[in-house]
Amino acid sequence: MPARDAGGGLLIPVQHLRPGDHAFVSYGNDEVRWEVVTAFVRLGLARGEKVLVLPCPGVPEEEVLARIDFPSRSTVPARERGQLVLTSMRELILPDTEFTAARQLGRLRAATDRATAEGFAGLRAFIDMGWVSALGADVGVMERRETGADELFAGRPYTEICAYDRRRFDRSVVAAMERAHPRAVLERLGSLRSARGPGAALCFIGEADAANQAAFVRSLEIELARTAAARRLTVDLTRLHFLSVGCAVALLTLARGAAGHDLVEVRCDGGQRRMLRRLGADAVPRLTPTEVVRPC
Amino acid sequence: MLNPEPAGQAEVPAQEPGRRLLQRRFTARLLPQLRLLVEECAAREGLCEPRRGEFVLAVDEIAGNAVEHAGGSGRLVLRRVGDELECRITDAGPGFSEAVIPELLPGLDGAPKGRGLWLARLVADRFAVSEGTGASGAAGAVVTVAVRLR
Repeated sequence: MPARDAGGGLLIPVQHLRPGDHAFVSYGNDEVRWEVVTAFVRLGLARGEKVLVLPCPGVPEEEVLARIDFPSRSTVPARERGQLVLTSMRELILPDTEFTAARQLGRLRAATDRATAEGFAGLRAFIDMGWVSALGADVGVMERRETGADELFAGRPYTEICAYDRRRFDRSVVAAMERAHPRAVLERLGSLRSARGPGAALCFIGEADAANQAAFVRSLEIELARTAAARRLTVDLTRLHFLSVGCAVALLTLARGAAGHDLVEVRCDGGQRRMLRRLGADAVPRLTPTEVVRPC
Repeated sequence: MLNPEPAGQAEVPAQEPGRRLLQRRFTARLLPQLRLLVEECAAREGLCEPRRGEFVLAVDEIAGNAVEHAGGSGRLVLRRVGDELECRITDAGPGFSEAVIPELLPGLDGAPKGRGLWLARLVADRFAVSEGTGASGAAGAVVTVAVRLR
């Protein structure tokens, strides 16, 4: 079963991050922690953005590079031309040594301007928040930084992920930091979540692939049962980064069999709509694909 | 996170056309990472949406078919060949011919199989199925899907 997400409006797959996004992620073990950073770095490089990685202090640079540098040494050219930079919060705020939110925001703003002046499409930064204790910073200061950083993002080509290790921070701190960010990204590649969206829509988030098809189908079946009295169901696919043929056909088949429903509205992007039509959506009278602009 | 398989231009056989971008062995567990790597290469080569998403979908459907029907694993090679992005997926299963892919989309009440490869062929600018080398006894299959970049 995909997990239910109560505050689903914030959550998106990492592949959906766009310039101007400020996102939270948390992780709980040393394997999973690399999945989001690897995707974030590699997609940023492919989109022509400059990428800063500020790993958790204490993790050797060699390990960071080995994790993101697969297959083979494929990110070496990006490092050689200055597009991919491994750094630290301590280094970022130099020549100052004491962290302040204003100082950090100023440095990141300047780094964004420098990246665009160098010809990159923008700047993205992955910041593991392990630096907070390493620099003796206060969590309260960080929370105010996270909620007061809009000027760094609004209308600017800057994207940031702040990563919190759930083993280092109290649960209440992690929850507060998640609330302090406008976005949150899924912790793992290939994961699927569901959430209640606007108008009680069933929102799918992440990747509806073959491995997640049973969970995808189960969620739809539950929602069809729940909405039987209303005779209307809205399914939102716009926060899916991947929709397999199997899941798309399952959606069409379930809608076709939902004889008690007058309408199954499917909110989707243009590619998903084209896919559903190719797979026979027009033959399901009660199903209405509605193309919407992706909310991110 | 991933099991790196050495790849790189220096290892490309002299007779292989184009420029090799990616070479990976995969299992079901590695399909999400495989999609990420294919998407990354496609973006780098300038394949724009919505064609990039369609290409990743086609690759996933072919790779998933290899996982399901050909022993749980396969091998992917992605190349830039002229103005095309070409993906070749090889498996060590019993092999199959393009004739098993339905010409017309099966109805929603029809057989549940074949739609993935049907859609992969539909979105491709070039698509072919051939027999593998059969190094391990089984014939195997090689499925090639390509899209134009311009």
